[in-house]
Amino acid sequence: MTGKFKEYVLEVCCVFTLMSVIGAVVNIIAGTETNNINVLVMFATCAIATFVLFLHKLFDSVSPLVMIIVQYLVACALVGLMLWLISMFISPITPKGWFEFYRSFTIPYIFLAGFYYYRVFSETKKQDKLIQEIKENNKAESV
Amino acid sequence: MKLNLYEDKNTSNEHVDVYYTNMRPVIRQIIDMVNSERPSLQGRPADEDLDDGEEILLDPREIYYLDHIDRKLFAYTKNGVFRLMNTLASCEEMLWNYGFVRVSKSNLINIYKIKQLKPDLNMKVYASFDNGERICINRSYKKSFNEYLQRMRRMS
Repeated sequence: MTGKFKEYVLEVCCVFTLMSVIGAVVNIIAGTETNNINVLVMFATCAIATFVLFLHKLFDSVSPLVMIIVQYLVACALVGLMLWLISMFISPITPKGWFEFYRSFTIPYIFLAGFYYYRVFSETKKQDKLIQEIKENNKAESV
Repeated sequence: MKLNLYEDKNTSNEHVDVYYTNMRPVIRQIIDMVNSERPSLQGRPADEDLDDGEEILLDPREIYYLDHIDRKLFAYTKNGVFRLMNTLASCEEMLWNYGFVRVSKSNLINIYKIKQLKPDLNMKVYASFDNGERICINRSYKKSFNEYLQRMRRMS
């Protein structure tokens, strides 16, 4: 359990560092600035995303499609909780703010899920080709 | 592969020389055979009692896959299902050169018997066999399965 937690914290740190660097580069190019709340929200989002991706080991026996849907629902719930906490203790969030936040993580999620779907199919096709090749070679050796 | 047989009534030292380009599964199988270590699995028909059924020697090449259910190991062949007394781990080690690879906690499949590898719409990948049965390739074993295929291709 401690090992898993350490692994999780390490992954969160890596993801947050990467996102911070990308954010800084984008800010430099666009000439914009960020604030402390945005940095904290980004950290919370990274922690949620990493946690949700960590859950995939629990879904070994179910289909990847079910896993993707469950992970999305868990992410939605955690993001909802995060936004609710922000609106309660930091600053109120308008309905448009909620919508924008959900949209900004749903779009990349669908994109990545689609990419995963494509990879499963293309990798299986490659493996099938490989098996046929091995079978052919084995037949040739046996003759 | 070319096979030369020489009969010499006077020799006291019978031997086999193998000339090969690289150590691939078929060469290892020949070595196993010469060393009398060719694996053969002893099984009894699964539908009979352990004490009643006649023990049958199974050729690994005839086996589609091995299934471990309720602490019992079964081998699926064209001629039926046989109960084996080995463990799945020992079979995995023994049959490595014969195209057997682990694809889940309880399944070892023979890649030479796979008719097609195909994903379902729910993204689960299945190996279909000539006998019409399907075995799911678990996500946790996907990487090792792929590595095994790559290794077998390099060696074949």
